[in-house]
Amino acid sequence: MQKDLEAKFLLDFETNQNIAHKICRIYTTNKDAHNDLFQEITIQVWKNYPKFRGDSKFSTWMYRVALNTAISLYRKSTRRVKTQDFSDVQFKIKATDYDDTEELQLKSLYKAIHLLNDIEKALIFLYLEDKPYKEISETLGITSVNARVKMNRAKEKLKNILNP
Amino acid sequence: MDLLDNYKKAWKNQPEEEDKFSAVEIYKLAQSRSISIVKWIFIIGILEFVVLNSLYLFIDAKEALQEYKKLGLENFIYVSQTIFYVIILYFLVKFYLNYKKISTSDSTRVLMKKIIKTRKTVRSYVIFNLAYTAIISIIIMFAEINVNFEDLSVKQILLFCLLILLLITVILVVFWLFYRLLYGFLLRKLKKNYKELAKLDNVN
Repeated sequence: MQKDLEAKFLLDFETNQNIAHKICRIYTTNKDAHNDLFQEITIQVWKNYPKFRGDSKFSTWMYRVALNTAISLYRKSTRRVKTQDFSDVQFKIKATDYDDTEELQLKSLYKAIHLLNDIEKALIFLYLEDKPYKEISETLGITSVNARVKMNRAKEKLKNILNP
Repeated sequence: MDLLDNYKKAWKNQPEEEDKFSAVEIYKLAQSRSISIVKWIFIIGILEFVVLNSLYLFIDAKEALQEYKKLGLENFIYVSQTIFYVIILYFLVKFYLNYKKISTSDSTRVLMKKIIKTRKTVRSYVIFNLAYTAIISIIIMFAEINVNFEDLSVKQILLFCLLILLLITVILVVFWLFYRLLYGFLLRKLKKNYKELAKLDNVN
């Protein structure tokens, strides 16, 4: 039983780990903190995995657990020594079909997102990931009207940072 | 096209993480120990129960009982201690149940609410514990004065009262500052985020 569950979890998590990586990039600014948060997300997803009933997609459920971990459970660890700042090393793009403009846009997007507060980060992240308002409101536990109101404000704030 | 639409396109085209973790690595990570604030609240909560209750161990029970007998407080202490431990047990059970209810797969708002509720149980416990100690100390102080009334001058009685009250106040202030610091440190971020979400709901 346990072994089956473990195998399923590993498969689900491994294929969807990019969700966690993106969240780590949004909520942390260096590689050590990134790995720290990633570790805590992994623990939380595994710990809660038996509760995942499969009535929603695994990825949908994982968005929620991972965001919750970043917003409410994770505290910056003081154990680790800070290393190089992210923005310079993180996005060395390998793929050839990826053009410069987009790379620059992506960099400034991450920079701008880092200036938002934790809740705004979550809203913008879910917007960028094309999540419907219903899912956003369920993830955050607020009404979808409120999700819309707050989303518009977060977007405005982001736009102002990107294009002052 | 909206300004953000361009960025969204860049976001969508962003390459996957280079340093992906393998299944083996993920397995190891999943088995490692959590350092989440919920864990900290639980550990600190348990420590508080243990530390505050073990302070009594430093008091010589036999000697204390003799003293209570002398003061005529024997029954009172017995009854109040029994009630005290029943209430402590209630807090401990409530704390544990609240802690167990915390689930990362809840919505963000519900999760934060549950974390705050759990920590509030600990706060109520600490307030109760300190209030109990303060009240019992004051009662013993009055009993002490009552028994020795004839031997003491008004000045001595006043000085004695002042000293005891000062001591109680100092202890309470020290504890209060300690908790403010401890939980302020642990929960500042969470509280700020909770307010941010709650603010949202008050908009309409």
